[in-house]
Amino acid sequence: MAPSICAICEVVRALIIRPKNHQKLCKACFIAIFEAEIHHTITTTSLFSPGDRIAIGASGGKDSTVLASVLKTLNERHNYGLDLVLLSIDEGIKGYRDDSLETVKRNAVQYDMPLKIVGYDELYGWTMDQVVEVIGKKGNCTYCGVFRRQALDRGAKMLGINHVVTGHNADDVAETILMNLLRGDLPRLARSTSIMTGDESSEVRRSKPLKYAYEKEIVLYAHHKKLDYFTTECLYSPEAFRGSARSLIKNLERVRPSAILDLVRSGEDMARLVPEAVTGISQCKIQKVSLSSADDEDTSGCGTNGRSGGGEMADMEKKLQADEDAVGREVDVTAKTSSDNDGLHTDAVLLKLGKKTGPKTKMVKKLTRQTLGTCRVCGYMSSQEICKACTLLEGLNKNRPKMEIEIDIKDEESSIPRIKMEGVVQAGG
Amino acid sequence: MGSIETSAPTCIKCKENASTLQIRSDNICQSCFCQYVTTKAVKRMETYKTRGSTKIAKKMLFPLSFGSSSACLLHILDQHITSQYKRMNRAAFELHVVHVDLYLDAVDRKGSAELLEKYKTRFPRHTYSSIGLEEALSLDTIDWSSLGLLYPPDVESEKPAIERLQHLIAAMPSATSKADILTTLLTRLLVSVAKKNDCEATIFGDSTTRLAEKTLTETAKGRGFSLPWQVSDGISTYGVAFNYPLRDLLKKELVTFSSMISPPLTKFIIRQEPSSHISASSKQTTIDDLMAQYFESVEENFPSIVANVVRTTSKLQPLTWEETNSCGLCGLPVSEGTDGIFGWGGDQNSDSRVNREHGEQGILCYGCSRSVNG
Repeated sequence: MAPSICAICEVVRALIIRPKNHQKLCKACFIAIFEAEIHHTITTTSLFSPGDRIAIGASGGKDSTVLASVLKTLNERHNYGLDLVLLSIDEGIKGYRDDSLETVKRNAVQYDMPLKIVGYDELYGWTMDQVVEVIGKKGNCTYCGVFRRQALDRGAKMLGINHVVTGHNADDVAETILMNLLRGDLPRLARSTSIMTGDESSEVRRSKPLKYAYEKEIVLYAHHKKLDYFTTECLYSPEAFRGSARSLIKNLERVRPSAILDLVRSGEDMARLVPEAVTGISQCKIQKVSLSSADDEDTSGCGTNGRSGGGEMADMEKKLQADEDAVGREVDVTAKTSSDNDGLHTDAVLLKLGKKTGPKTKMVKKLTRQTLGTCRVCGYMSSQEICKACTLLEGLNKNRPKMEIEIDIKDEESSIPRIKMEGVVQAGG
Repeated sequence: MGSIETSAPTCIKCKENASTLQIRSDNICQSCFCQYVTTKAVKRMETYKTRGSTKIAKKMLFPLSFGSSSACLLHILDQHITSQYKRMNRAAFELHVVHVDLYLDAVDRKGSAELLEKYKTRFPRHTYSSIGLEEALSLDTIDWSSLGLLYPPDVESEKPAIERLQHLIAAMPSATSKADILTTLLTRLLVSVAKKNDCEATIFGDSTTRLAEKTLTETAKGRGFSLPWQVSDGISTYGVAFNYPLRDLLKKELVTFSSMISPPLTKFIIRQEPSSHISASSKQTTIDDLMAQYFESVEENFPSIVANVVRTTSKLQPLTWEETNSCGLCGLPVSEGTDGIFGWGGDQNSDSRVNREHGEQGILCYGCSRSVNG
């Protein structure tokens, strides 16, 4: 076969098949179009104004490294007039974060940008290593994600910056849309699709300039620009198999390359179809789901981990079944209850009977209107009265002194915090 | 059901018979299982109860695909109508059963005609008809010029319709696009059949699993905007209501049901090949295939998640645009000022655009535009 010529410049031999639309391009044209598209996103959404100070949430991974590199390039090329700063979070994971932070430190030199590193220990009094000691290796990604989101806000505030950009790409957005459909979480689906969260009045705005950029193109760009980034997966990801939604997206992309973009478009359109007062999320679901899902943007930086693993789906399934049972019980109370102790039940039935489903039924119909306010405890942005980070911290801190006596005193079960209970359930499932 | 072990738990519903089946995680006997399936479906038809002195039965279009779900639903509704007649000598609704031939091959068509005869013999109470998908080409509700094809199917009308349909499908850029346009044509054809026969609603046999599958398929095809019209009961922009009485039942439950009832429906059902062998690297694989495969596995382990997807999607509300255009192909409302796959945030570079060689196009929605333009 004769070598293909680049579809754009029609001069140079094509070396790259563009993942987004399978266009054959030369290296220079690919880099140019990748940058031009991000410039297009930034200008059409009026993401920045001249003189803005912008913190780039930098993990040392490919997405944030490409974001930093592209923003620097575009800022100089198109005179955005931005003051760019790298902002990194030190979760306190030995052997992982200390290495990736080295990458960020090199990036700071390479891109000539100031770097601020904020540690979980100074913000929350807990490093991730310590959290894992308590929570175990499963389910800790939730903590990490929730803590990180707020850590970026706090870090930005320390720097006097009110706009944080993150490296979320089109694959991440598409994945969030699918995940929230599977979770049945319309409010979060609606919020996750917009390029910007918060507005001029918010203390810290967040945006994702790579929202329409394919992950594969980000990798290609990083490769061809020879960017210095860090690829090792987080240590605390024993369930690092690709989440259900993520592997589905990869397959969809193979069958129809536009699928990722089409998913993003669907999400944007569906966000407008979500009724203003979104109904039907029971109180118990809110607690569960919001705990397990970190936040709108999920746990960027952990790559594929922790958000859509089988464990989470299994938990959700249990939760939903319990709700269904509770509803069913209310409807036909007469159907059962008698002759329950004839010893013929399977474990599953016994287990279910043991669950207290009664009080949940009443809350099923509760309306949940989500508005952005501030956390009563720490004062940071939150849609709940007490933000997720503080809720999680409360559990952790309660847990700290109790750890040792737990094994001895069995009948204190009821007073063991929920979070600990969840850990047990997850480890079992 | 073969011999029942003495240790088999008692049915959780009737507390008498030994259980042989499970609904979600409850052990249940065969007769209670059939009761459960029937009740779930009939309950959904309560909207069409006879009220007061209305003696005239409402006409419903019933598309029959020969799959497990529509076969089960026909059985259930047939029994329901029969018992209504027995009780009060009238029924709330009557069914016009239609089978749309998606296969263009004469041999396949003969086979489906014979199968439809079997249905007529088993459920003789209803009106039956069958129609080939190529009939959709003569629908005046579709703006064929909007497709921007060199040879729109309505122009070369001297050629046989089947051949023109084949040309149209062949002109689509991918397997997913082909499947997508076939689905769209099917829907539009059914609506026109419903209207011609004065049916006030169309009763679809989609199970929970199928509706969840559809939700994610349409989302992945860029048709998120259309979901309120695709999975909700009652809402339709076409002037004919769509209803999904099996929306609370899983696919696997219906498959079981079809073999439980007596005589079983097994011989009336054309089973689809299990989707487990579908590979994402095949050129023939569609997004629809991938989603079917995905939900087959989710249904197995996480049935409540499947149901939750459908419940959630049903909460989406259709947009009410002040001024709306309709998509030339699927007919759904398109918001003012949009241009198919072009002219939105994700359309970032005019160099990447597909050339539109065939002059001015009409209005297409994002999903149809994607299918036509690739």
